[in-house]
Amino acid sequence: MKNFQWTEPQTIEQAIAWLAKANGKAVLMAGGTDLFTEMKEGVVEPDLVIDLKSIPGLASIQKDKDGVHIGALTTVASLAADAMIKLDYAGLSAAAGSLATPQLRNVGTVGGNLCQRPRCWYYRDAQMDCRKKGGSQCFAAKGRNKYHAIFGGGICHIVYPSDLAPMLVALDAQVTISSPRGERNLPLAEFYSLPAKNVRRENVLAPDELVREVKIPLAKKGTRSAYVKLKERETWDFALVSAAVRGTVSGGGLSDAAVVLGGVAPIPWRLGKTEASLKGKKLSQALVKEALRADLQEARPLEENGYKVELVEAAVTRALLSLTRPL
Amino acid sequence: MKKNAYLKMAIGNKPQGKETSTPAPAEFKLIGKPTPRVDGKLVVTGRAMYTHDIFFKDMLYAKILRSPYASAEVAAVDLSAAQNLPGVKAVLKLKEGRVKYEGEQIAAVAAVNEKTAEEALKLIKVDYKALPYVVTPDKAMADGAPRVHDSANVEKINEYSRGNIDQGFAEAEVTFERTYKTAIEIHQTAETHASVAKWDEDELTVWDSTQAIFNVRDGLAEALGIPETKVRVIKMYMGGGFGSKLDANEHTIVVAKLAKETGRPVKITLSRKENSLCVGNRPSTQITIKGGARKDGTLTALSFRNTTCGGLDSGDQCSEPTIDVYKCPNVKVEEFTVFTNTGAGRATRAPGHVQGTFALEGFMEELAAELGLDPLEFRRKNYTTSNEGGTGIVYSSKGLDKCYDIGAQKIGWTRRNLKPGDGQGKKRRGLGMASQIWWGGGVPGTLADIKIHRDGSVEAVSGTQDIGCGTRTYMATVAAETLGLEPQDITVKIGDTVYPWAPISGGSLTAPSVAPAVRDAALQAAEHLRGIAAKKLSVPAADIVLADKKLFDKNKPENSIAFKDLVKGLRREAVFHGERGPMPAGFAYNTFGAHFAEVEVDTETGRISVLKVVAVHEIGRVLNRLTAESQVVGGITQGISTALFEERVLDENTGKMVNPNLQTYKIATSMDMPEIVPLFVDLVDPRINNLGNKGLGEPPRIPSSAAVANAVYNAVGVHLREIPMTPDKVLKALRGKEAGS
Repeated sequence: MKNFQWTEPQTIEQAIAWLAKANGKAVLMAGGTDLFTEMKEGVVEPDLVIDLKSIPGLASIQKDKDGVHIGALTTVASLAADAMIKLDYAGLSAAAGSLATPQLRNVGTVGGNLCQRPRCWYYRDAQMDCRKKGGSQCFAAKGRNKYHAIFGGGICHIVYPSDLAPMLVALDAQVTISSPRGERNLPLAEFYSLPAKNVRRENVLAPDELVREVKIPLAKKGTRSAYVKLKERETWDFALVSAAVRGTVSGGGLSDAAVVLGGVAPIPWRLGKTEASLKGKKLSQALVKEALRADLQEARPLEENGYKVELVEAAVTRALLSLTRPL
Repeated sequence: MKKNAYLKMAIGNKPQGKETSTPAPAEFKLIGKPTPRVDGKLVVTGRAMYTHDIFFKDMLYAKILRSPYASAEVAAVDLSAAQNLPGVKAVLKLKEGRVKYEGEQIAAVAAVNEKTAEEALKLIKVDYKALPYVVTPDKAMADGAPRVHDSANVEKINEYSRGNIDQGFAEAEVTFERTYKTAIEIHQTAETHASVAKWDEDELTVWDSTQAIFNVRDGLAEALGIPETKVRVIKMYMGGGFGSKLDANEHTIVVAKLAKETGRPVKITLSRKENSLCVGNRPSTQITIKGGARKDGTLTALSFRNTTCGGLDSGDQCSEPTIDVYKCPNVKVEEFTVFTNTGAGRATRAPGHVQGTFALEGFMEELAAELGLDPLEFRRKNYTTSNEGGTGIVYSSKGLDKCYDIGAQKIGWTRRNLKPGDGQGKKRRGLGMASQIWWGGGVPGTLADIKIHRDGSVEAVSGTQDIGCGTRTYMATVAAETLGLEPQDITVKIGDTVYPWAPISGGSLTAPSVAPAVRDAALQAAEHLRGIAAKKLSVPAADIVLADKKLFDKNKPENSIAFKDLVKGLRREAVFHGERGPMPAGFAYNTFGAHFAEVEVDTETGRISVLKVVAVHEIGRVLNRLTAESQVVGGITQGISTALFEERVLDENTGKMVNPNLQTYKIATSMDMPEIVPLFVDLVDPRINNLGNKGLGEPPRIPSSAAVANAVYNAVGVHLREIPMTPDKVLKALRGKEAGS
């Protein structure tokens, strides 16, 4: 590990000031569960680590008339355990509870989970000079790609590993971003960006910006959400495929639906055509299969990950059908 | 350790035809009961000293620079910048010329802390010229493939035949051929390899995370060119050893040299990545079995062909179960190894038997279905009580039939799908089983001492090592039982080459080697004390009983003397040298078992859940039911883990392993574990040794993956024939079956 400086700002303003001054050579640290593995492997070698944990007020879940505000330093474990979240956003509670292990959930944070780096095994090997690290090729394209993207890859086939991101996108969450220029709000769906836009990054944060909180609109009456995560192991496993869904149930069908996938693309992957085809129809396994057809036609599996197409169908079907199950 | 040497050790010395064993009583007071580990408290409170914990005030830390290339010519290594880094105390060049795998040693550094050592590695300049390589068996076998060694990439490593294979197939009414594959598995010990070396004048002491202190001692002496008498190796506690810790490892020799050069103790702790690349693995296999049988299930022929890959070294011979387990007059075996530019394979918990059993037992299950027979009845039909499939010598004891009876009853064998895949629905359940054979007879000549002090305290001493199996506890139990004391009255001293010789802790041979040696020493001690007590109590020595911390007249128990009071009168502390005796010739000494698994397969997601495993083993006398059960749980955990998850993933395009960490090299978690029911056949081998016990380290690992794969076959009607059975492979097999039907 390369030597680095360490700072513990006491306010958001101080943190941003450090960030701006470091000119792209700093990293933000919350739980550190992702960052430390990257630093130990030499994948990132920052000059400065800005530890956010001393900043007060960033680890809370609060509901007001605008919606639910989740501070960036809220631990994943406390999100999973929150009674209000469980009641209003069952899918989010499930996504948080499905993540990693109890030890990692106790330390990992919501902000950190949304800003984590990809788990591609070529990216994570400092000796592999891949596109994401500034090199000229994607080793996964013709290499070992069982865990890689079936959608949206192109020049870099990572999948975005977060469990919270697809669920929060399905819930129409926004992120509040702080920088020396003030604050801005952005739909989480627009926060993530494809490799084609900037292969070195997975989101649109500028080097001097940080995510302060996530805001979810108030849950509408009758709207439910669910998260189904398919993995190899029972625990401590990233999703092979996950399905985050939200829908308002009326008369055996959904009057509106959001279907977002995890584990299949470099960003949370929204199935717009599927959502449109579901609307107002009676939910059934056959309907979901039919509704998925158009979106799945756009899948571009690599040599070893074709099975993910089949998993999408299983995950989305199970997630959607669970919405109509009696509470 | 070379696998052949390992197997020779596992089989034990050739029986010598001399019956020296004192027959053991049918029932003991302590032996065989569930005794908590004598060192359990130390371990769970974190006070047990592992090699990772060894620390000296002036100690240096070593790191090794390793080749990032699968094959390269190292033209030059420039150490000067590293040598000049403050805090660096020594730098060694370890290689020039050709390197043959990712992870091969190039140079080593000793520095005042790990960080400085790591920085120094970055300052070493190596001039590599990358060379062509092969990292997968398929590529290595292709025409014109780059050669790994000077010889061909494929080499025959074993052949065997008995009877007449052609005639066997001619007599068959059904012939059937299937191919089974197993992936490369890494020895992922919780405690990675570690060594600390310290010189005192010309004497070297090494603390090593090892299964074999004497092998490490001898290997170090040879590598350093010093007498074995000048090397002492110590191993107190160990976080797992599955075969990769059986010799003096390269990094251990390196720290001995660095310590010599610097005059300070030097420690090395391998990273998880080094542990994944450089210290061994279980070779992969591709095994084709062709079998012939009569319609009633009588086997007439078995042909076995294995293509195994152990990287730079030979792969595993896997045919032993096929040669031995089932009665079959005509057998032919051919085994080949394929060399690749990857880390060398090494003995891995039941080398060869795990892979060979996966193939043989999968084949038996599929052939049974083809014949329309109950797979368990099919196995019983071909049962034999002598080795080489009924053509060899008789087993001293074999309780496999009882394992079948107990296991079938406990799992509810009649619940299985009568025809594989008969179940309905998205989630399908199935039952499968597999048989197990292994050696585990122990090593004659193993030594142990019993030392009785005049204050009444007693030591049991042997240069064996407890690698987590409970060695200390059964040594204490055997000594206490024989001397009429309690386990906590015995101080166990092991893990040091200054103690009497004991073999490696591998090959399931520690318990059947060390426990009889302790028993032998304790019997001598008891005999001696009986003689003294006889005089004191004025009764014949033969009538003296040692029990309840006393020696007393069996006809008049109140005529007694306390153990403590008796030994107070000794002139000096009394030492008794015990030895594990030879095994009578004319018999085969093996362990047996059968696993029965129940699984549920999600046919939409390809996910397999193991619901229950009933494991029944025949290991002669059980020494400690508690640690024996743990051993079985561990074997099943590894078996499920490799059946469902574990695989070294190599990238042909770069020659590198892409999953050298525990996030992507997936090991089963506690959440993946089913209900496990460990059971033992109540049987004492009549002649193997003075306790009638056999080994248990490897047996529970052997059939565990096969039983799970067979249960999946019973659930979905298609045998995957390949592990790990990850969702991608399960879905592929299911769709293949749909397309075929």
